[in-house]
Amino acid sequence: MRVSFQEELDQLEASLQEEGSLVLRVLRGALNALEQRDAELADEVIAFDDDVDALYLQIEAGIQSLLARQTPVATDLRLVLAMLHINLHLERMADYAVTIAKMTKLVADVEADPPLLQSLQEMGERAEEMIRVALDSFADRDLEQAESLVELDELIDRSNRRFVERVIELVAEPDVREWVLRMVLVSRTLERIGDHAVDVGEQVAYLLTAEFREFTDASHPEEHV
Amino acid sequence: MSETDTMPQMRPVDVAVPREAAEQTRETVFDIQDLKASYGSNVAVRGVDLQIYRNLVTAVIGPSGCGKSTFIRCLNRMNDEVPGFKQEGKILYHGVDLYGDGVDQIEVRRRIGMVFQRPNPFPKTIYDNVAWAPRILGLRKDLHERVEKALRGAALWDEVKDRLKKSALALSGGQQQRLCIARAIAIEPEVLLLDEPASALDPIATASIEELMHDLKTDYTLVIVTHNMQQAARVADRTAFFSLDVDESGRGAGTLVEYDDTGKLFTAPSDKRTEDYVTGRFG
Amino acid sequence: MAAVDHALTVSLRGDRRTRRRRIVNRLVELVAILAAAAAVGVLAWVVYAVAKRGIDLISWSFLTGDLPIPFSPEVGGIGPLILGSAILVGIATLIALPIGVCIALFLEEFAPGWLRVPIQLAIDLMVGLPSIVIAIFVFSALVYGHAENGLAGSLGLAIVMLPLITRATQEVLRLVPSDQREGALALGASRWRTVLGIILPSSLGGILTGTVLAVARAIGETAPLLFVTGIYGRLVVLNPSHAMPNMPVQIFIWSESPDPLDHKRAWATAFVLMAIVLVTSLVARIALNWGRRNVTR
Repeated sequence: MRVSFQEELDQLEASLQEEGSLVLRVLRGALNALEQRDAELADEVIAFDDDVDALYLQIEAGIQSLLARQTPVATDLRLVLAMLHINLHLERMADYAVTIAKMTKLVADVEADPPLLQSLQEMGERAEEMIRVALDSFADRDLEQAESLVELDELIDRSNRRFVERVIELVAEPDVREWVLRMVLVSRTLERIGDHAVDVGEQVAYLLTAEFREFTDASHPEEHV
Repeated sequence: MSETDTMPQMRPVDVAVPREAAEQTRETVFDIQDLKASYGSNVAVRGVDLQIYRNLVTAVIGPSGCGKSTFIRCLNRMNDEVPGFKQEGKILYHGVDLYGDGVDQIEVRRRIGMVFQRPNPFPKTIYDNVAWAPRILGLRKDLHERVEKALRGAALWDEVKDRLKKSALALSGGQQQRLCIARAIAIEPEVLLLDEPASALDPIATASIEELMHDLKTDYTLVIVTHNMQQAARVADRTAFFSLDVDESGRGAGTLVEYDDTGKLFTAPSDKRTEDYVTGRFG
Repeated sequence: MAAVDHALTVSLRGDRRTRRRRIVNRLVELVAILAAAAAVGVLAWVVYAVAKRGIDLISWSFLTGDLPIPFSPEVGGIGPLILGSAILVGIATLIALPIGVCIALFLEEFAPGWLRVPIQLAIDLMVGLPSIVIAIFVFSALVYGHAENGLAGSLGLAIVMLPLITRATQEVLRLVPSDQREGALALGASRWRTVLGIILPSSLGGILTGTVLAVARAIGETAPLLFVTGIYGRLVVLNPSHAMPNMPVQIFIWSESPDPLDHKRAWATAFVLMAIVLVTSLVARIALNWGRRNVTR
């Protein structure tokens, strides 16, 4: 029954996964541009974000239409609401990648500090991994996988600590100060990407358990999922 | 730019190509111009202008008494059977005025079939129900194939293929209604009009009819009247909203308020009356 | 302030008024039962009276034998009478059935309003037309100046049967739900195809029953036969252009005779006639109910 309705749901989900793969490409492009200090590549990344935005709007419109026409309930409703939120998180992640690209452009000609760049790349790879895990947990409807995102977020935090230590060392030298400041913004952005990936995981958990729940609560830092 | 080595695992569903905006060229089947229909001195519906497009499901919704049934019965001239019926305006079917001179209402009904609110199978066998009309219309060639094709088209073949000679009245309500659909498509019409086809059926039978309509629109053009908005939202590609229009003398007649793609009508209707009706704040 | 406590004030026991209501109910029931009993009682009385007087002579030879020679002490038989009645009624049915069905179809399916009213009125009036009037009419039209013949008798009987068949057919046609007609018309069938293919077949049962009831009525009609086919011989007659022997007229003739044996014969024939009518009516009623169940769903 309701074959066309199911097809619509499947199509929306497939579009969402496609958006996810676009986000990964955008992020990878931004990270490469950062590493190679390639302003042209950064420009490509910024332009590519338009594709993500287009897909975002399309999915948004599709969800609106589906809600109005098919009045989904129960699991269907939770799926649609989860997709609505995941859509938003993915779009934000792409925007953050654009921010990284913009930073790259600003400091393309400036001298870079390899160890700092190295830890940023590590954080970037952690972020990529988190996005992949989030998308997989959604595709496979895997609650454990979704919940594992919390630990992965920890890894970003660890990389970030190493990053901060290096920043403190470098901030004393005046010629790299501007560059360092920009890179701090980049690290902040990468952390936020990680946060959004965790949010996606929370949506997957909501879909599977019908409970709105944050995986970690800032006021109760010890109580993890 | 270099790609990552491992792309995220995709589910075994095709990666969706962004769906094309459905503005492909639409062929007009009915062009209704300023239709006004009355029984004696009672105007049932007036001021109706709309086009019905090919291979789409068009739904007509609205509160009771706003002329939905009258409207749909104009499309196959069933209203001719009611004494005192009068029609003004034009109904062009592929450019031909349905009520023009020399138009034979029987020819009209061969091309524009109808399914009614309450299933009305003839007190004959299942086979004869479907075969009766083709026989009397002279379509006797390959009658068995025709009957089977019609029953398959109505998603009924598998359930009745072993009891074609049994009485049609022994079928359940949902099956009877699908039999009526099979009966209608057996004469290969172009258009199928459905006047509240599921309102006398239970929810499961209703769902099967809705599913069927989705398949039928590949081969036919469907117009459905329904008092169930959600049903229109689920099955229709385009939806027309009719409402009661009270003139200065206090007499009411049905009229077309809004006609648009279903998605648009149910997410952002242009007319406040439509908004009030679909949100349930009407009345 | 305390709300009214319904548990205390409502009593489901009856009071004086309810008791009186119950008594009135019982009384009305009683009256209805008595009235029904009276109707059945009268019928039973008639059947009993006829049976008592007529049953002695009943035998196979009586039912099949030739008519007795007048004033003969031999009982004889009423074979020719039964046969004659059968032929008369048979021909009458052949006339009345198709015409009656056509009129009913016309009234229910095709007639415009202004035409329907007078025709319906005519049919209703025909039911009440006294059979003796029919008899005189047929006599003056067909028999006066010519010989008596069975066809004229059949015609008179047909006039009696026609409105009955028409009315019964109309009843059954009305039972066919209008959405059957709509369904057929929506398929592109013409009016007459709809009538022929859908409406008539559904009504056949009812039409048959109506006909059988009309036959039961006609078999006992005396007046149309009295001076139209009232003079006949002893032998079996098969040719309707001659006067045909029949049961009701013969009962009349025998009952006028001075011979007491004739009286007995009259009672016996009356008993046979009554039995035929009762059994036929009963079968028709049963068939009608069975047919009704099949048409309306």
